[in-house]
Amino acid sequence: MAQAGVGDRWRPPRGRHRLPPEVVARSQRERLLEAAIRVVATKGYGAMTVSDLTGEAGVSRTTFYELFEDKETCFLAAYDNAVDVLVRRVTRAYEAERDWPDRAAAGLAALLETLADEPALARLSLVDVGNAGPAAQRRYRAAIQRLTPLFEEGRDFAPRGRNLPANTSRMAIGAVTGLLADELVAGRAEQLPGLLSDVLFATLVPYIGPDAAAREVDRLTR
Amino acid sequence: MNLSGLIEKEHLPAGRQDLAEPLVAHSQRERILVAMADSCATKGFNATTIADICEPAGVSRATFYELFKDKEDCFHAAMEVSLADAMGRVVSVYSPDKPWATMVRDAAAEFLDLLASRPAFARMALVEAPASGDRAFELYASGKRVLQSLLDRGRDDPVEEEAIPSSAGRAALSGAESLIVGQILAGNAERLRELLPDVVYITTVPYLGQEEALRQSRQAEKLLSAPGG
Repeated sequence: MAQAGVGDRWRPPRGRHRLPPEVVARSQRERLLEAAIRVVATKGYGAMTVSDLTGEAGVSRTTFYELFEDKETCFLAAYDNAVDVLVRRVTRAYEAERDWPDRAAAGLAALLETLADEPALARLSLVDVGNAGPAAQRRYRAAIQRLTPLFEEGRDFAPRGRNLPANTSRMAIGAVTGLLADELVAGRAEQLPGLLSDVLFATLVPYIGPDAAAREVDRLTR
Repeated sequence: MNLSGLIEKEHLPAGRQDLAEPLVAHSQRERILVAMADSCATKGFNATTIADICEPAGVSRATFYELFKDKEDCFHAAMEVSLADAMGRVVSVYSPDKPWATMVRDAAAEFLDLLASRPAFARMALVEAPASGDRAFELYASGKRVLQSLLDRGRDDPVEEEAIPSSAGRAALSGAESLIVGQILAGNAERLRELLPDVVYITTVPYLGQEEALRQSRQAEKLLSAPGG
């Protein structure tokens, strides 16, 4: 490699305008996605306008329409993005452990921590999902579907696994999200991590029964 | 134990005196409430307009605003009337002579049948109400509390339940609810009764243990295939 001459000396970037256009667009897009979650969480999807989004994100209307077709595509992109991060974090924590109860405990702990860090997203996906329109509701249910295999592994672990009702994993997930929603409605998002023993018991009990579930909760949350 | 008193005193918010009066005397009001529930079922609460309610109810806008403050007020009234009726029916299965598991099964069957026979109410109570503002949410939550207190009554041997978190019943009901809501959203409300074995299992397993809960669930399944079931 040729040595740089004196005239080619490295200089710090002069200003934001020197950033490549695709980098600028990416950060504008990200700001709009974050704004969408915040705006929907505070005023609801129905009342949200494109001006709310551009104001919150600090971008122009022209930029908005270069990046998104309308407020719905912006919101759904934001929603998908946030849910994707959540599901990946939960899955990673889950897969780091070996036995199913340990995996469930790790995945649920990651879920609780992520939601506690992002109360706007938590409320939006677990409490106000109906407000955000049918498309968001369908996406929410699709996201939940991605978590189903994590619960369904309980069937292989459970001694009576083959005799359990076909809908066991759906009900276990519903039990967990129900407990989370109750906590969020009560305005206790930041205290979600303290709910681990409750959601873990709700996850384990349909698969291994109350006695084994209580023992596992005790071991895993001590 | 007076369970019919439950919904009156402990669990529903105050201000329901109008329910005691015969609905016939409120026929316009009644038609509006039915139209509200129907519109919620077809296009959802958010998209429902006053015109969507007035037209099928055969009342003028002026009449609507004489009877209700706004759309929220009307939704709230519709939810209140039908919820009180529904909870009354479910609670009526309670009898101190019945074993607890039988009572849970009968209450679950009654609730599922009720939702299946009134799909508009099912959607309003379980899909729209939780997402339509604080007042509607509170009514939805009060309905859940009635079901939960039913689940808590008449269980013997609470000593052995020490190891179980106090949220276990609430969690089980949410598990059953999500299954029911999934069926409603899929447009299969009329087949809700098929969920009886699952609902029986999830609501009894924390208290009866797996073996007995599975036995109860199989019995519920037999009940479904029995003639007239």
